[in-house]
Amino acid sequence: MAEFLPLIMFGVVFLVLLAGYAVAPTLAGVALLFAFGGALFGAFDLGDLGFLPGRLFGIVTNQTLIAVPLFVCMGVTLERTRIAEALLESLCRLLGGVPGGLALAVTLVGALMAASTGIVGATVVTLGLLSLPTMMRRGYDPKLATGTICATGALGQIIPPSIALVLLGDVLSSAYQQAQLGLGVFSPKTVSIGDLFAGALLPGLVLVGLYLLYLFTAAMLRPERAPKQDAHAIGHPTAGTGRLAELAQGERPGASAIAAPGAASSGGASRANEGIATLLRNLAPPILLVVAVLGSILGGYATPTEAAGVGALGALALAAAHRALSVPALREIGAETVKTTAMVFFILIGASVFSLVFRGYGGDELVQGIFADMPGGVWGATALVMATIFLLGFVLDFIEITYVVVPIVGPVLLAMGVDPIWLGVMIAVNLQTSFLTPPFGFALFYLRGVAPPEVATTDIYRGVAPFIFLQLCLLGLLVALPDLATWLPAIVY
Amino acid sequence: MRTPRRERRPAPRSQMNAAMGEPRALRFLEATIELIGRGIAWLVFGMAAATGIVVGLRYGIEVSAIPLQEAIGYMQALVILPGLAYALRHGAHVRVDVAYSRMTPRGRRRVELVGHVALLAPTCLTVFFSSLGYVGTSWRVLEGSPEVGGIPAVFALKTLIPVAAALLFAQGVVLWVRAWRAAPAELDGG
Repeated sequence: MAEFLPLIMFGVVFLVLLAGYAVAPTLAGVALLFAFGGALFGAFDLGDLGFLPGRLFGIVTNQTLIAVPLFVCMGVTLERTRIAEALLESLCRLLGGVPGGLALAVTLVGALMAASTGIVGATVVTLGLLSLPTMMRRGYDPKLATGTICATGALGQIIPPSIALVLLGDVLSSAYQQAQLGLGVFSPKTVSIGDLFAGALLPGLVLVGLYLLYLFTAAMLRPERAPKQDAHAIGHPTAGTGRLAELAQGERPGASAIAAPGAASSGGASRANEGIATLLRNLAPPILLVVAVLGSILGGYATPTEAAGVGALGALALAAAHRALSVPALREIGAETVKTTAMVFFILIGASVFSLVFRGYGGDELVQGIFADMPGGVWGATALVMATIFLLGFVLDFIEITYVVVPIVGPVLLAMGVDPIWLGVMIAVNLQTSFLTPPFGFALFYLRGVAPPEVATTDIYRGVAPFIFLQLCLLGLLVALPDLATWLPAIVY
Repeated sequence: MRTPRRERRPAPRSQMNAAMGEPRALRFLEATIELIGRGIAWLVFGMAAATGIVVGLRYGIEVSAIPLQEAIGYMQALVILPGLAYALRHGAHVRVDVAYSRMTPRGRRRVELVGHVALLAPTCLTVFFSSLGYVGTSWRVLEGSPEVGGIPAVFALKTLIPVAAALLFAQGVVLWVRAWRAAPAELDGG
């Protein structure tokens, strides 16, 4: 009984989380209650808690995690100053004449927003508010429209640079060290966040390619699901923007302080010239920003942290160029960044308390034992981990899974010879699939929250099905062809 | 589910009434936390700027900028640790809302009332008390930077840990009292 206490604790945390209290204090609080309870019966050594302050200090001053607030700042800036919004409108104009053009534009912008903000919730909500009303009005099949938005929004997990990959890289690198030390390798190889970015790039692009291919084919085969549109009617300023602006103002009294660059300029008279100019102005800078950030990391010119800092500065400069940067806007961006950053780190802290107690109870050895007894060796163990993560992904966020589950199972799997980059990419794609899968996928909740009532929830569920299938194809592809994840990092570094 | 809920809900009437009659001490605590949050918000841009300068220096004149590099770390800790309470005040901490989103306001209030006491308070108190010795040791030697030429104020930086725990606890108390006081009003209102 006592030796299963760590697993029982895991189960209890899971159940308490379902009650809906904030995740971070739930992780820490339940673990501490277990620790104090165990101490009463002499089953837990409270001296272990003495490591707590040192750990906390390590987390909040962690050099690599500095990338988190900086990437958050970059994403919040692009979102709040409506640069992402202007981008979507421009691309819709460009692709309006192609079969399924609107859906293709949404996918491309979603991928770019995913790359630049890396926040699934923000991407799905923004895309949903901006493009869903337009797609519906153009006579798009609601299933196709909602599926596209959810699937593209969830890309934020895997397309680098993403915060999720930064966190995963941080955890995997220490898990990898631990695994090698356990094997008696005393000059261990390392795996960095940059490695993970490089590893996730190709699979991410493959996935975007699959999405585009599917949408194009669907639009060709059944044009009534994705009607073409007249070029001049697209991106009408009152379409999505109005609703987003309305909503934003209803939500936050300070929102009016931020100008909407794209919306203001999109109703002009001389369409052809203005179209191209606006297109370039709206399209090029964000794309350049993402390419520059990613390129400097992959090219080895900057660490992810440095690139994130430069990316944040670049986003602010873009906003300034759009005249969307005022003192109130800055205040809002700063406050939003503080909240999101504190939210992320509170979970890291809570997970750190949890794992301290988990280890104190001998949970590490327990998990190791379970894996050693798994039939099927490495593959059996990997499959078990993937299935567990997929199920946990219904209820827990990327951050929690990364910091609670990966430190426990990571070292064991890596010691069995699994490639760390491949494992990281598999986890990322797996979780992304989980976030899309009804009835509990996060992305679906976000979209349901902003979708008009005439879109049925079942439409959303059925709409994501083809995309889930494509995701599973990617997972299968990664299993069959691990080079997809490991080839680029090997070349770049 | 894990939506950072950005002040999406305007406070319900019952809550606003409760806020008006709130004890001064609570309002003072919350105003302090708000002020701190607004202050550290500007450090975000400081971090971005400092990172930019570090990169610039490295490629420009090949100078290593240890104090500046460390300053970024200091700013990060300053953003995160006091930011915990600020984020709690604004309901930015994520929750699993599969069940929570379907609960009545009363059910939610119960979750909050129990959670603040059974989960948040033990966390804050454990962090606070376990860090006192850790910080004390640092103060006794006025712990400086491990790097030559670094910022000699690691002891001050470490002090942020118990301070953050105390702020978080204070915000928890504010929220608890508010939820408690709002409960009867809600029962009256149906």
